[in-house]
Formats: sequence, C-alpha cells, structure tokens
Amino acid sequence: MAETTTSGEATNGRSSTLPEEFLEQWRDVAYNCFSSGHKFCREVCPVTQVTRDERFTPTAFHANVIAMEKGHLSIEDVAEDYVNCTMCGACELRCPNTLFTGDFYRFRQRTIDVVKAMRAFAVEQGIHQKNWQRWAELTDRWGNEPVLGWTRETSGSKVRAWAAGLDIPTGGETVLFADCEAAFKRPSVPRSVALLLRACGVEFGLMDQQWCCGGPMWETGYVDIAHKMAEHNMIDWRKTHTKRIICPDPHDYITIIEHYPPLDENFDEFEIVLAVDLIAEAIREGRLELGTPVQRTVTYHDPCRLNKRLGVWQSPREILRAIPGLTFIDVDHVTQWSYCSGAGSNLWVEKPELTAEISRRRIAKAQELPGVDGLVSACPWSERPLTEQGEAVGMDVFDIFEITAEAAGFEV
Amino acid sequence: MLVFRLSAQRPPKPERVTDVVVTRLEHVLEVDPDLMRKHVAQQDIPNWDMHRIVSARWEHIRDIHEQWADSIVLAGEGSELGAGPPEPMGET
Repeated sequence: MAETTTSGEATNGRSSTLPEEFLEQWRDVAYNCFSSGHKFCREVCPVTQVTRDERFTPTAFHANVIAMEKGHLSIEDVAEDYVNCTMCGACELRCPNTLFTGDFYRFRQRTIDVVKAMRAFAVEQGIHQKNWQRWAELTDRWGNEPVLGWTRETSGSKVRAWAAGLDIPTGGETVLFADCEAAFKRPSVPRSVALLLRACGVEFGLMDQQWCCGGPMWETGYVDIAHKMAEHNMIDWRKTHTKRIICPDPHDYITIIEHYPPLDENFDEFEIVLAVDLIAEAIREGRLELGTPVQRTVTYHDPCRLNKRLGVWQSPREILRAIPGLTFIDVDHVTQWSYCSGAGSNLWVEKPELTAEISRRRIAKAQELPGVDGLVSACPWSERPLTEQGEAVGMDVFDIFEITAEAAGFEV
Repeated sequence: MLVFRLSAQRPPKPERVTDVVVTRLEHVLEVDPDLMRKHVAQQDIPNWDMHRIVSARWEHIRDIHEQWADSIVLAGEGSELGAGPPEPMGET
C-alpha cells in the first residue's frame, strides 16, 4: 500500500486519494451498489465467471471508491484491478438498481463509467498499464489504433484502403465510419457493408481523414487523446458537409453518442445510425434481396455493445432469418447477457489470456448447440478472439455483414 | 431503428400522476424529481437509455416467466402487467 501523509497525499508527491470532483460524481453510485448488496452482477460478469477473483467484481469496483474516500486504499493499490473489465455492461444492466428501478428514479448503476473514471484517474496519477500506454501513444501518433501490431502503421491515409476498387466518394451527406479493427484487420466487413448499402440504394461517402473514434482511449483512461480523435472527426464531418454517420461497429456508435455531444454544442446537426438497423430495414422493406442460399447451420453471438449496452438484438436476428438456406439456431438475447467475447475495452491488449478464456467459453457454448459449426457476430472486435478460439475447434466465425453480403450474391 | 439525434434524447416535461409520481415517457412512471434533490441527485439519462432499461425489464421478466413459471398471475384487473411489453424501440 502506498505510504501516505495524514492528508492522504502519497509520500512520493502524488495525490493518491480521490479528488472531490471525482467523489461528487461517483460517490452516490458507489454507495448505491455497496449498500444494496445485491450482487446480481457477479454471475453475468464474464471476468468473474473466469477468474472468480473478488478484486475484479463490479462490487469491488464500487467498494473501492468508498474505501478510497475513507483513506483505506489508494489508486496505486487498485489501478491494475480495474484492467479486468470488458465494459460489456452486463453488471449494470442486470443490477436491480438499473433493471427494476433505474428508470423510476432516473438513477441507475454506472459500473462502466466508474471503471472509465478510475482508469483515467490512474493515468492522471502516472499509473499506466504498459500495453495500453503504448497502444494510446501509437493511436495518437498514427490517428488509428495499432490493430496490426506495434510496428505496422495504421495511419489516416491508409484507413480507407479496404475500399479499393469500390469508387466510394469522399464526404457527402452520409458517411460510412469503418472502425479501426474492421478497416485494417478485417476489411471484408466494411467492404460487405459498403456493397450492401449500395444495393439498398443508400448513397454514402467516406471521411476525408478518418481517425479512431476515440472509444478505446476513453475506455483505457487516455481522455486527452480521445478528445483529440473526436474533435478531428467532427471537423472532418463538417468539412465534407456530413449530416449522417453510419456505424457498422457498435463500439463506434456508443462512443459517438455518449462522448461526442459534450464536446460540441452543435452536435445535434449529426444523426448517428447503426448499419445493422439499416440493413434489417432494407430487407424488411424489400429494398435488399437475399437470393443466394448460404447452406450453413449457425448461431448468433449478441455483441455486448449492441445487446446489453444499446438494447439492439432484433435487427441481427431479422437479417439472419432472411438468409435463404441458413439454419439459424438462436440463443435468446437475455441468456446472452452473461455471454461475452472478452474483447471489450482492449482487455485483450493487456490480458490476452483472460480474453482468450472468455472467448473459448463463448465458442464452447456455441458448440453445445446441435449441428452448429458457425458463429455469427455483429462486432469486429469480438470476431478477433472468437475467430482465434473458433479455429482451434473447427467453429467458423462470421461477421453478420459478411454472411449477408454472401447471401446478396457478393463476393467479398 | 435506433437512430440517434441529440435533441430527441431530452425527456419531455413531466406530467403529474400522483403526489409523488410523474410521467414523461409513455408507460413509464417516475418519482417526482423534487424528491431527489437533497440526498441523491438524479442522473442525466437520455431517452434511448430509458427505453433500453424499460424494454430490458420486460424482456427479463418474460424470460423468467418462460423459464420458471407454470402460470402467471396478474396483480389485478387492469393491471399494467396485462398491458404487455412496450413496442420495440423506435427512432429516438
């Protein structure tokens, strides 16, 4: 435990106690959790399912705030504990303080925001997680996340390389925002989205210089870099007179709707849309025909950001049920509150073995379903660890847009 | 479809239901905000998030019923339980 003076200042000159503005913001949710003692969060938490480590439970994340307020702990003691969270949102959704009373009181559990705030506080105090720090530095330097490794640059000039040959214009009223992971690591996803949107009759362009949405920077505590990314992107949108942003990746969607408005008083001029909703609507209205059978037996993985964080679970299922030839074995979206790929909040960058185990268990659940040899997800970040674990056991992992593009007759 | 526009997230003005309950969104009852100014302040929850919580509750209850209930007993005639879950989230 860090040595402290009686005022709570660490003797190394850092203030390791929580500042008053932090407590003003998070004291109430911390006590709301700690004093209620519900703990419904435990078994839905993918990290708790694997580690059974009390330090990494949502309860501990809140109890630490109270302990730090009382001087029993410092940020040095617990900073690394807060790494162990995918920010899937299962805990705060399942908590009765959200699920049964959150709307009545307009006061819900906010575990994700508490974890973000603690991680940011740790960074402010100079406590860094080695890989996250490197990830943040490279994102800042290149404009996009180092999803191809530490030495392969992912600059803004290369972020639209996935669109080669598609003749997509720059800018315009609607742009397609392809996230770093898909753009560089799994280009078949944005290509599929682009082809499908075109087939639906949606006109769109790409940003002039797209940078990372900033989400992983907010999630890992590098708030200044996140702000820089966001401000750059909004300037780019205005430069090309963009009013509507289509997000294939739910991480981008959540980052933009939660974090961008406080940075820009005119944010109301933008409309943010999920690509999965657009495609489902197009199928429903007959504007997109899926005429090529896909003879597979698959199940669907509800990505956390889509299902738990946004409540979007119907559109992907509607799409899958419209694909001819496809046998779709569903697991309902409420059961999937306790499922996770383990990829969220860059956990895999700092704790790859933990992400691998969470994903292994998710693949194992898919294997239990009769005849299933394919898992479809709707989030490129989840598809990385799921694909790795799936390869080990012969389970193919698809992105929903890839399989839909195939059904629409496209070769991607 | 979950289309996000910032101005659509601000809740409408509350309408009084009882001396301690108000309503802003259809089928959603809320505590009188004046009762949450002294000890615990309310949060700024956008409309899409309120709809998410309400929908999730209905979906959770339906899941519990399907898994565990042999029969479902309504609280009384005209109970809101009989109203069923709200429509899926539309434009917010």
